[in-house]
Amino acid sequence: MGLFAGIRAMWAIAWTDVRLLLRDRATAFFTFVFPVIFAIFFGLVFGGDAKKGKIEIAIVQHDQSMLAGEFVKNLMTMEGFVATMAPSEEEGERLVREGRASACVIIPQGFDKGIETLFATGKGPQIPVLVDPSRPGENGLLQGRLTEQSFAMMAKSFSQPDRLKKQLQQARDSIAHSKDIDLQRKLMFGTLFQNIETFVNDANKPGEDGKAAVSDDIMSKFSPMQIEMKDVRKQRNGPTNAYEVSLPQGIVWGLMGCVTAFVSTLARDRQRGTLVRLRSAPVTRWHIIGGKAIAGFLSCMLVQWLLIAIFATFFHVRVPNPSMLVVATVFSACAFVGVMMFLAVLGRSGEGSAGFGRSVILIMALIGGGTLPVFFMPAFMKPVSMASPFKWAVDAIEGATWRGYNMQQMTFPLAVLAGIAIGGFVLGSMLFRRAMRE
Amino acid sequence: MLRLSHLRKTYGNLVAVDDVSLEVRKGEVFGLLGPNGAGKSTTIGMCVGLISPDSGSVVIEGAGDPTQDSVRQHLGVAPQALAIYDDLTGAENLSLFGRLYGLGGRSLGDRVHRVLDLVGLLPRASDRAGVYSGGMKRRLNLAAALIHEPPLLLLDEPTAGVDPQSRNNILDTVRDLAKAGKTIIYTTHYMEEAQRLCDRIGIIDKGRLLCVGTVAELVNSHGGKSVVRVDRSHKHERIETDDPLREISRVLSASESTDPVTGVHIDKPDLESVFLSLTGRSLRD
Repeated sequence: MGLFAGIRAMWAIAWTDVRLLLRDRATAFFTFVFPVIFAIFFGLVFGGDAKKGKIEIAIVQHDQSMLAGEFVKNLMTMEGFVATMAPSEEEGERLVREGRASACVIIPQGFDKGIETLFATGKGPQIPVLVDPSRPGENGLLQGRLTEQSFAMMAKSFSQPDRLKKQLQQARDSIAHSKDIDLQRKLMFGTLFQNIETFVNDANKPGEDGKAAVSDDIMSKFSPMQIEMKDVRKQRNGPTNAYEVSLPQGIVWGLMGCVTAFVSTLARDRQRGTLVRLRSAPVTRWHIIGGKAIAGFLSCMLVQWLLIAIFATFFHVRVPNPSMLVVATVFSACAFVGVMMFLAVLGRSGEGSAGFGRSVILIMALIGGGTLPVFFMPAFMKPVSMASPFKWAVDAIEGATWRGYNMQQMTFPLAVLAGIAIGGFVLGSMLFRRAMRE
Repeated sequence: MLRLSHLRKTYGNLVAVDDVSLEVRKGEVFGLLGPNGAGKSTTIGMCVGLISPDSGSVVIEGAGDPTQDSVRQHLGVAPQALAIYDDLTGAENLSLFGRLYGLGGRSLGDRVHRVLDLVGLLPRASDRAGVYSGGMKRRLNLAAALIHEPPLLLLDEPTAGVDPQSRNNILDTVRDLAKAGKTIIYTTHYMEEAQRLCDRIGIIDKGRLLCVGTVAELVNSHGGKSVVRVDRSHKHERIETDDPLREISRVLSASESTDPVTGVHIDKPDLESVFLSLTGRSLRD
């Protein structure tokens, strides 16, 4: 059989197996729907995503003045944001690095002085903001909201004549004592500040309608603070929500469904005579195995990406490195195809293989993090979990999501998955050949 | 068309096929008749190349050894176990098997249509095989062997467990295929089917091929004498004879008035008698 005909035969077998899987409602449910329900359920059990839809920020308050307190209070109530106080800059930076906050706003010492000398220096206080550069959208939004808050502070100053008069007096004093400004300019600034003071007094006098003559909107045309965004390199060593933990678990159950389904398919083929029909066709056993493997691979990929798409879209699971995640899912799918090939032909009879396969898969899923994530397991269980291919699949997927592994860190789990894939395929093929002879 | 030479296959201590040699001629329907467990399916398995013989050989004339993939293009097999997917429709089943034989596109569609029509399943082409009756599944099983139009067909108990209507349909189909020039090996433990369909028959038991010939040849050589059964008022007689009519005439002329003949039956030797005479057992044991 030529290469093209062989590929066509493999594809025909693969497509048939996928179609059979999808047409068996119970199997399709346990392969594609149950893992989603499972992952959502465990996500909720582990704490869900209470701050769903809101951007988390940390605030470090070095300045304990009234103005700073007022600014912090405004930040804490900003719509669309959830703010928490961090005790130190280091702690705030750590929160950003670990992905537990999108940004950390630092209220520096002397914040109130900066506000008070605004007219004298021409610059408001500097507000450093530590941000995760991988979230440009959130950062832009935060910058805009901080600027808005600073304008609001400014506007409030104009609506508090005493505070503004104090600021203007400080500015006048500063100019009067300046040696760099000539007398003519000092007189000019004096007149300006006098006019501003008169304007503020008049503006705050209530009109006939009882409102101030100048609204906050008009005043918010100034830019009173220097917001300085500083990138913080993120270390993804912790999940930001419970769904990031439950997603790999859901994937475990999805992969388990795929393996179980295809072990049963091959077992049924052996038992019912369809394998005899396939073997009596002019195709090699490699075409048959290849077709089954392609079907298993496609199903494993489908279930993994279905879960990833759902959880990334609706449950705020981050996919910071999609290409790494593709690699992780491809290796996981290959490994489980290997497991499937091995288990499908392990028993002497089709039914025996299916029953044995289901039991083995269930045990491997349980010890590999299917119900309880491996990092929650007691210490004695962790070495045991290494025997499960599910553990390595979870490791690779977590590495490509919230753990933020680099390629070097990914090498080991990927190598183990590749080893399982090759070992399972080789052993499975040998056993399949033996089963065929019988 | 097909030559088996000294085929032997054992499973542990069990000898499934023991030194079977035979030749199936082009265009004939060859029946392999024997009880369950006689070695028929194992022999078919070796003919298709699915089972490797311990010794001996199988050769398809003009093609070679059926263990080679390309040679299997010349074979169509209907296994005893129903080799169809219940969750696929009749047409989808045939399309899949057609593709495995390199068919595709419009020609595959045409063949699926033709073969379904041949076995009488065209009106149910879009129904899943799982909802077919046992007889319809058998017909689909046969259709799958025909999809690539092979010159040699191996039909392993194609009527096992089917209703009379489907059995007749299958037997008619096989007869039509034979008329179309196909070479057919037909295994069965139903004597009537073998007598009705086969040009030559090989009787197999406990892995050994006991004899090969036409029905008449087998009956003449191994069937024994005809039996005339005479029923009288008070007794029944059983007379073995080479000339049953003459024996009946003699019985009736010598009939006594005190115990008159109430009935006469002739049991002519058939394949059942042949099997009984060769093995000492009934075909249905």
